[in-house]
Amino acid sequence: MIEAISNEAGFSEKCIRLSNLSGPGLMPKTACAQYPGMHCSFRAVAGSVTLIKNAYALLLGPAICLYNAKLSMSSRSLTSDPRPNNLLFLEYTQDDVIFGFHKKARETILEIDRRYHPELLFVVTTCLQEIVGEDFEATIDEIRPMVKARLLVIHTENFTSQEATPGIENLFLSFFQLMLPQTVTPRSVNILGLWTYHARETELALLLKSKGIAVRNTIPSFCTPSDLAGAPGSRMNIVLDQYALPLAKKMRESFGTEYIYCRKPYHPDSIEIWYSDLAGALDIDLSEEIWRMKKESLEMIARARSLLSGWSCALAWNTGRTFDLARLLSEIGIKIDVILAQTILPDDLEDIRKLLFMGVDPWVFRGDNSLQTESLLNRLKPDLFVGGQDPQSLARLGIEPRSISLSHSMFGFGCCNEVLSRLCRRGPGIEALMYKEDLVSQGAA
Amino acid sequence: MDLKHRGFPSPSDYFGVLWGLSGIKDLVILEHGSPGTCSYNEMNYRIMNRQSPKGRLFSSGMDQDDVVMGRADKIVEAAKELDHNLHPRIIALVATGVTSLIGLDLDGIISEIQPVTQARLVSFPHGGFAGDYNQGIMEAFRTMVDLVKEPADHKPFSVNIIGPTIDSFNNVSDLAELERMLGLMGAEVNTVFTCRTAVEEIEQMASASLNLVTRDLGLEAAQILKERFGMPYIHGLPFGVRGSVRWMNDVADILDLRLDKRMIAQELLKYGYSVLELFGFMQNFDHLRSFLSCPCDYALGLAGWMAEEWGLPPSAVVLPVRPQMSHVPEELERIGVSKVLIEPESQAMEDALSSIKPHVIFGGSYDLQIARNVPVKIHAAFPAFDYVYRFDGSPFVGFRGHAYLTQTLVNSLNAHPEVFLS
Repeated sequence: MIEAISNEAGFSEKCIRLSNLSGPGLMPKTACAQYPGMHCSFRAVAGSVTLIKNAYALLLGPAICLYNAKLSMSSRSLTSDPRPNNLLFLEYTQDDVIFGFHKKARETILEIDRRYHPELLFVVTTCLQEIVGEDFEATIDEIRPMVKARLLVIHTENFTSQEATPGIENLFLSFFQLMLPQTVTPRSVNILGLWTYHARETELALLLKSKGIAVRNTIPSFCTPSDLAGAPGSRMNIVLDQYALPLAKKMRESFGTEYIYCRKPYHPDSIEIWYSDLAGALDIDLSEEIWRMKKESLEMIARARSLLSGWSCALAWNTGRTFDLARLLSEIGIKIDVILAQTILPDDLEDIRKLLFMGVDPWVFRGDNSLQTESLLNRLKPDLFVGGQDPQSLARLGIEPRSISLSHSMFGFGCCNEVLSRLCRRGPGIEALMYKEDLVSQGAA
Repeated sequence: MDLKHRGFPSPSDYFGVLWGLSGIKDLVILEHGSPGTCSYNEMNYRIMNRQSPKGRLFSSGMDQDDVVMGRADKIVEAAKELDHNLHPRIIALVATGVTSLIGLDLDGIISEIQPVTQARLVSFPHGGFAGDYNQGIMEAFRTMVDLVKEPADHKPFSVNIIGPTIDSFNNVSDLAELERMLGLMGAEVNTVFTCRTAVEEIEQMASASLNLVTRDLGLEAAQILKERFGMPYIHGLPFGVRGSVRWMNDVADILDLRLDKRMIAQELLKYGYSVLELFGFMQNFDHLRSFLSCPCDYALGLAGWMAEEWGLPPSAVVLPVRPQMSHVPEELERIGVSKVLIEPESQAMEDALSSIKPHVIFGGSYDLQIARNVPVKIHAAFPAFDYVYRFDGSPFVGFRGHAYLTQTLVNSLNAHPEVFLS
């Protein structure tokens, strides 16, 4: 196995000081030959459609994509956030490219309708059909009257090379086709961009409920087609991520549903503002809860500071506002050597400004190439790596992994506390891994 | 109807090429396609015994503009970069579906950049449209076996193992046991083609005296080596006590080695315990029905062993992929298997399971999921997304494989004592 590449591959052009970032957009790529490279939009959609109840998704694609999608969902079934087994697969072969796929797709959809009786069927395409350019909408329109299921086509547009964004946005936008004008219920919201099995047990959902705000839908987490149809009956959409924003805009345009866009924060001050904005928009009083929960988080910060102040870290891209997470780490005295980012969003700029104001100016590096990332980490040698990365490779570099993956589906102060708690202790097995890799590297030397 | 739900979509030849090449040191794979495909493969390798293609597999990062313009500059630049930074002996340019679709000429690209590239460039142009993964593995084998040179020297007691690739179920333990058994005879492994080899080792394959083909997909490569270098080969895996002794005898005959009877006796004393020695006197097991779903070499070997030594011929065998040898179904029937299904849909497999009602099933993860009512489930085939086989002490083959699997069967049945009732 080739373990490393030359360190001379132009790091100065690829590593940018945060203060020198020119603005939002894709970070410069770190190599021509990429591994693993950008996230697959088809994969993201295949993993997300499973969250809709009473629905199946027919994935149309070459065997490469279908096999990977199936395995991906199978692996997911072994986690704490499993997804229902509602994916169906129809292979797009070379013959289909030449002779057309309409007939096969049509027959398959009719068969699914007969055999599985879904309330809703997503038809998901890969870049291959999108390049061939077969008009699936026409096929779908033709058979719509013949099936009981509602049919929604999602083009994943992986080839636009903008990570998973186009596909996920299209998924959200497809929900719009189910929506119908409704009488608006006062004191009700939809939460858009909440992706978890435990959506209704999140701090945000529970807090709103305790104040008499009905959370009608957590989209896309386990809502039914009927729930989605009724979504315009909510007074407001709370939009937690950028992927759901086009849907929120469309709902405002068509149904007059107002929205508040608030990506997930990590720092207690940001969380306080986040909740206060929400409270203001919903005309509720959260001040007591905010004060109580913030106090707890600040106490945890003090404890974390006593343990981790002076440590250095590399920070991976995380759900929500990664630069606000960097602010939280800096608050407890961790020196951030590098942030691995892929796409800087316009609303990251405010967090970046606050970080720089604190005197924190880490390197920013596009983190989608393992060899280049490891090469950089080997140069920087941070004490910790915060976020998802191969633990063995990190341990071999003498860097302790700190996974915060359980915080991905958490919000508010609970999320902040979860991150702090994970930072403060080694995960199970890390000590043994570090010990082993240390001995291995001594032996190798 | 090609719709899949409970089963899994068969991996295409593209995967076979990747898996057939990924065990070769100093070879890197550069696929030309959407970056998402490569990113997806990170997970795909991980489910195969927690492996990683890091440092071996790369994407050119093609995008829609490249497709529209028919541009090849990304793969050219990526190949040059890999050549410069990693200094591999070989760079394999692998097409994905999109490359095949737009008809990008990988060989044309190779003609253009080979003169300025240190690494040898080879192409795999089918992009997932040439059949299932077995086709890709054989394509990788054919291309790699072309590298074999006239040997500089001859190693009389050295063998090549041909067939295991990184996707091969239980290959870590099985290879360890084959090597151990060869060592007991005084023979050694020259290289394992392709899951544990290097370009130089492939070039020197003809210095060995025998090729041991562990998988039907390796037969073509072995035949090529026989024709080019006169190398004999043996096909098959040693399953059970009889199978292991037979295999050792065959190897010893060709290598002109004497098989020490004391060594065999010691092996049998240590690892040769029969099911009768492990079951209790009151544990009746001759009514047990079993079901196998494995590729043909495992299926033939396990079925023969189960029939000959456990007295439990499988009631049915599923061959998830069509074997390269046409006689496999007849061979299974000769062993006593009454039902052989080749590449069945998951519904056909469910029907067979409901009619047979087996007590034990050996198969891949999806087979075991489908067989939800079968009490004893033993992982014995790819894909095994919920099963790790990194430890080298759990072979299915050889004497130790006999011991391990017999013990596993007995323990698993004991955990489900209801199977002894009927």
